[in-house]
Amino acid sequence: MIACLTKSVDDTKALALAVSQLVGPGDLIVLGGDLGAGKTAFTQGLAQGLGVTEPVTSPAFVLVRSYAGRLPLTHIDVYRLDHLQEVFDLGIAEIVDGGGVTVVEWGDVVTPALPADLLEVRLDQGDADDDRRLVFDAVGPSWVPRMGALAAAVSRWTVDA
Amino acid sequence: MLILGIETATPQVGCAVGDHEGIRAGFQAAHGRRHVETLVPAIGFVCRQGGVALEEISAVAVDVGPGLFSGLRVGVSAGKAVAQALRVPVIGVTSLDLLAFPVRHSSRLIVAAVDARRGELFYAFYRQVPGGVQRLSGYNVGSPAQMASELEARGEECLLVGDGALRYPDLVAEAGGCESGGASAAHPSATALVELAHPLAIREEFVQPWELEPMYLRRSDAEINWERRTPPDWAVTA
Repeated sequence: MIACLTKSVDDTKALALAVSQLVGPGDLIVLGGDLGAGKTAFTQGLAQGLGVTEPVTSPAFVLVRSYAGRLPLTHIDVYRLDHLQEVFDLGIAEIVDGGGVTVVEWGDVVTPALPADLLEVRLDQGDADDDRRLVFDAVGPSWVPRMGALAAAVSRWTVDA
Repeated sequence: MLILGIETATPQVGCAVGDHEGIRAGFQAAHGRRHVETLVPAIGFVCRQGGVALEEISAVAVDVGPGLFSGLRVGVSAGKAVAQALRVPVIGVTSLDLLAFPVRHSSRLIVAAVDARRGELFYAFYRQVPGGVQRLSGYNVGSPAQMASELEARGEECLLVGDGALRYPDLVAEAGGCESGGASAAHPSATALVELAHPLAIREEFVQPWELEPMYLRRSDAEINWERRTPPDWAVTA
C-alpha cells in the first residue's frame, strides 16, 4: 500500500501522469472516492501520460468513453448503475482483454464484476480544501510486482500510510 | 426458404444467405473486432453476391452466444431489426451448438469452448448422433482447470473446438487424448448457422424478433451497495 498527498487538482493530475509511466497494455485501474474527490482529474492526468490529446470528460452519463493514445484508454463510470448485472453488460472483461488501459470510476464498489487483477486508487479529502489523500493498492498478479516501481515513481507525493 | 444468418459471438463477424440447396453467399472477417462497422454492409454484400433481394428472406438466424458482449449486442440488434422490418421470424442458435455442428462427423466427445475473458471459458459437451450432434451438458462458465477436470472425469478422447482451445493451448496438451480443432474450428461460422437453422425453420422453431435474447451466462441479481452515493458536503464537482 502506498499513500500520497496532493495539494491541488493539477497536483493530482501530475501524480497520475507519473503513474501513467508504469501502465501497460491490459491494465485495469479502479478509482474509489466520493464525488469531487478527483477521480476524473486523476484520469485526465493518466490520459495525458498515455498520449491522449482529446479532452477527457466524465463518462458518468455515457458510461463508457474510449480514447486513442500511445495505448488506447477506456474510461468507465459505474456511478449511475444499480445492479451488478449492468456492469457485466458493459462487457468490462472484454474491454480489459482488448489490450488497452481501462479506468473504472467507482470501480471499488463493483469488484465482483471485475477481473481480480487491478490497481486500486482510493481518493479522499485531506485536511485543507484542495488536499487529497491517494492510497494505492495492488490486487492480483500484474500490479503486485510493480508496487516497488510505483512507489519510486510517486515518491514526490508519498506520505506515511 | 431463404435464411439470413448473422454471427457475431466471437472476435469474428460473419453473415450468410442460403436455402435448402445450400449457401448462396457468405462473408466473414476477424480483423480488429469491428462488428458494428462490418456487419450491416456485409449483409448487403452477401445479398448482392448471392443474388438475393432482402424481401426474399423468410427467416433470420442469429448466434445468440455465449460470447463477446459487444459482438452479441450488435448481432442480436441487427437480427431483430432486419426481422422486424421484413416481418419474418427469428431462429436463435447458441455459439456452442454452432461450434459443435461442423465437427458432427467426429465419433469423439466434442467439447465446444469459447473464451469468456477473465480467465474463464463458456463450454458444453456434445456427442455425435444420426443427423447431427446432441448436447450432453448444460451451458457452463468456468475456469480452464474446471473444464479440464470435467474432461478428466469423462476419461474419453475428445475434440476441442472454439477459440477457448487457442487461448489455453496447455489445456489441450495436459488433458490426455484431447485434440484441438485448430484455427479453422475456432469461430462459429455464419454458413454453418444457415445450414443448422434450416431444419429448425422447417420445424418452425421460431421466436418473434422481440423475444430474441442474447445468452450471456454470467448473471448476477446483486444490487450494487451504494451507501456512498450521496455526495459529501464538501463536494463541488461531479
